[in-house]
Amino acid sequence: MTSEERLEELRRLFLEAPESAATRVLAIVLSLLLVTAVLWLVRRRTLREEYTPIWMGVAFGIAALSLVPPLLGWLTRAVGAWTPSSALFFFGELFLLAICLHYAVRLSGLTLQVKNLAQELAVLRGELDSLREPSGERP
Amino acid sequence: MKFLVIPAFQEEARLPAVLERLAVAAPDFRVVVVDDGSRDATAAVAKRAGARVLRHPFNLGYGAALQTGYKWALRSGATLLVQMDADGQHDPDDVAGLAAPVAAGELDLVVGSRFLGVGDYRMAGLHRLGRDFFRALLSAFGLRLTDPTSGFQAMNRTVLELYASDMFPSDFPDVDVLLCAHRHGLRVGERAVRMREGTRASTLHAGFAPIYYVYKMLLSVWAASSTGPRRREGA
Repeated sequence: MTSEERLEELRRLFLEAPESAATRVLAIVLSLLLVTAVLWLVRRRTLREEYTPIWMGVAFGIAALSLVPPLLGWLTRAVGAWTPSSALFFFGELFLLAICLHYAVRLSGLTLQVKNLAQELAVLRGELDSLREPSGERP
Repeated sequence: MKFLVIPAFQEEARLPAVLERLAVAAPDFRVVVVDDGSRDATAAVAKRAGARVLRHPFNLGYGAALQTGYKWALRSGATLLVQMDADGQHDPDDVAGLAAPVAAGELDLVVGSRFLGVGDYRMAGLHRLGRDFFRALLSAFGLRLTDPTSGFQAMNRTVLELYASDMFPSDFPDVDVLLCAHRHGLRVGERAVRMREGTRASTLHAGFAPIYYVYKMLLSVWAASSTGPRRREGA
């Protein structure tokens, strides 16, 4: 057996190693907890409805990966990873990166809105001042 | 109607002298002081000197303070606006000379330059390097200005309308907004002014600020040059 074949054999072992039951149960519990947390936050009006689909999607994804084991194996092969866990990390980090960028965009938009509001407030207060002054300039 | 906008943050000490001199040097201007969330008596001293005071509820930045002044002037029917700093680095006696080309319809935007032979302004090493760099950058886009970071400017209503839009930055509106005006086909020029060492220039001196400044400026110059309309031919 050449070293290349040995490596390929090793990789197959990693890929086909059965997932432990504990991990699967943990993942399912985690996804259920996530759904519960999202629903609870929406009910408390701490989380707006339009921000929930992405987290529901994540919970659904985690549940699907743990309920349908071949899915993770297929994903792992698709990205050329050796172990399912590294494929999971890869997609996890990709997701976090995307969501951070998404929030940075939202934040930029909100910053602009807050600035425009504060400016509007300053201008309106100035107009109010000028109306209160008997001989003040009228904008 | 002519307006003079002065953005001010914590300037209770230096602002009164500027306003006092303006009352003599530019009596035909309506003076608007934009207090950018100062915790001192900036607004009170400005009001006492007879200026219209617009107060930000919190600190928004030098650019945002300028823009509040633009928005006010636009609503008040301004035809001409001069902006200057509150710290006394700009000379009120130069206001009339700076505004003249705009009032005469020769230019849309006039930048007051300290490097055209009037006064004896001296720049330190790094700051000077920055100035030369931005000069070269602007001239690459066909805009020749000797003092592109000068905050002493005069403009007409067309420029105000552009600057009141969301493209105007909250922190340092310098070469990027000049370039934007240039690319919108506005006539940008300069006139000589006297200047003293100011405080705003200090952003180009300390710590990582100058590195961030250059980075941010390059990014906004790129954004300004890759969006916006092309310069009108013959404009």
